[in-house]
Amino acid sequence: MKLTAQALNLDWPEVDRRVCRFIKDYVERSKAKGVVLGLSGGIDSCTIAALSTRALGGHNVLGLLLFEKETRRTEDVRHAELVAKEFGFKTETVDITPTLEAFYRSTPIFDRTDKLNKGNVKARTRMIYVYYYANRLHLIVCGSSDKSETMMGYFTKWGDVAADISPIMDLYKTQVRKLAQYIGVPEEIVEKPSSPALWPGQLAENELGIKYEQLDLILFGLERFMRPEEIAAQLHMEKHLIDEIKCRWLSAEHKRRMLLTAKLQYRTVGADFRLQRNPP
Amino acid sequence: MKEVFKIALAQISCQQADKAKNLTKIRKTVARAKKQGAELVIFPELSLTGYVVRDEIYELAERIPGPSTKIMEDVAKKNQIHLVFGMPEISAKTEATLHNSAVLIGPEGFIGKYHKMYLPTHSIFEEKRYFRPGYQTAVFDTELGKLGLIICYDIYFPEVTRLTRLKGAELIVCISASPGVRRSFFEVLTVARAIENTAFLAFVNLAGIQDGLQFWGGSRLVGPSGRILVQAKYDEDDFVMGEVNYPDIRAIEAFVPTLKDLRPELFEQLKKSAEEL
Repeated sequence: MKLTAQALNLDWPEVDRRVCRFIKDYVERSKAKGVVLGLSGGIDSCTIAALSTRALGGHNVLGLLLFEKETRRTEDVRHAELVAKEFGFKTETVDITPTLEAFYRSTPIFDRTDKLNKGNVKARTRMIYVYYYANRLHLIVCGSSDKSETMMGYFTKWGDVAADISPIMDLYKTQVRKLAQYIGVPEEIVEKPSSPALWPGQLAENELGIKYEQLDLILFGLERFMRPEEIAAQLHMEKHLIDEIKCRWLSAEHKRRMLLTAKLQYRTVGADFRLQRNPP
Repeated sequence: MKEVFKIALAQISCQQADKAKNLTKIRKTVARAKKQGAELVIFPELSLTGYVVRDEIYELAERIPGPSTKIMEDVAKKNQIHLVFGMPEISAKTEATLHNSAVLIGPEGFIGKYHKMYLPTHSIFEEKRYFRPGYQTAVFDTELGKLGLIICYDIYFPEVTRLTRLKGAELIVCISASPGVRRSFFEVLTVARAIENTAFLAFVNLAGIQDGLQFWGGSRLVGPSGRILVQAKYDEDDFVMGEVNYPDIRAIEAFVPTLKDLRPELFEQLKKSAEEL
């Protein structure tokens, strides 16, 4: 198998159709009134908002702009508003700064210099807002995680990844960009460098230490059981870099699964209690 | 025996784990097929219960004949029609040994059943966890000629269809629950199985979404030359009628004589090589 950008190419009209059917089917079965999602102004959330709108109609989609003073960027706000205008879904803006400040002040062990744990608080606080809106307004939480970040464990456990459905979690970041282009997400959003917006100036590719174009090919190879030395040879990379990515992928499995427990009885939640997921 | 007759490909979506709802849909569809002159109506794999029911299958499975086949017999008798559908079956000799079965019922009642031989247990499939495989092909002598039954993944193994054909089936019914990512495989295999056996092949696939799996529909009747005679829509519930015309096989069989040219000695080699794989 050749690891080239061509390998990641999919039938975009078909992917668009399948993702939209998936969203519509789940919302209808759940008897929810629509979906709510955290709208950061980045490629993933803008794409998922656009797809949800194509699936459900704009009046059934609510994008929450959950900004806070440290990471708020005018460009992100403009992009969130731009995609909402282009596709025609509802938005609401909430400044979560007071909530975060209250958490910081009231937590005896809180350390403002520990930016990673502080960032996780922000991601989980956004999750609380999204779920509050979902429960209050009878909406489904639609997640916007992509496959690259999910495989790398590049997300906050119970934070940005928390959702009822994650319709594009099987698409690598570069594939999300292609899908976004296909459905007409504005080019400036598609081309903008990704950021989880947990602290000022944070950029995903800087933190991951690799460009998504290359990372996605490595992950694609690992997905198809290619050995690290094969991937390294094809991509002209050092094998230890592929090993590091493989290790990161495997060690993050605990973030992708629900609750692990000790097996004590006949059938066990999360182990061999195997039930259908769809609501009856 | 009828040499020319109409069949209905009833591509339905199913309510997971809700036999009553699925039976209602099946009953209505049979009546529609009858109105349009069908002699045979075919429903997808596990259409009684839905495909993704996981552990609930132990509660849903029934004996064959059993309560649900009895209902289906009444439907077939009332409409004077043949029907094929799929359901999970509990072995008559055990309490929790299951088969993934296809059932054939005629205007006079229950005719026979087939146990799926090849149970996919890879990727998202977990059939071997629940089902015991079948060991016999199934060909039944009916008013509509010799009908053979196979199920979904069986079609990847040409020996199943071949054996069904060699036992005399000229119409091979393949009921299926195939999710979207496998469409390109089935679209080739259904045509290949029809050509290499010079038989009619009726493929009826599930539609709809179950636990994120999108069943792609695309049911089709393929003629003995590999021509797609009718095809249902992708993904959605659909209902299409097609015509089986057994005399058409004669011309194709003379032109592409795959059965005449069979080499039995290769099957011995095949067996030996497969054992040594």
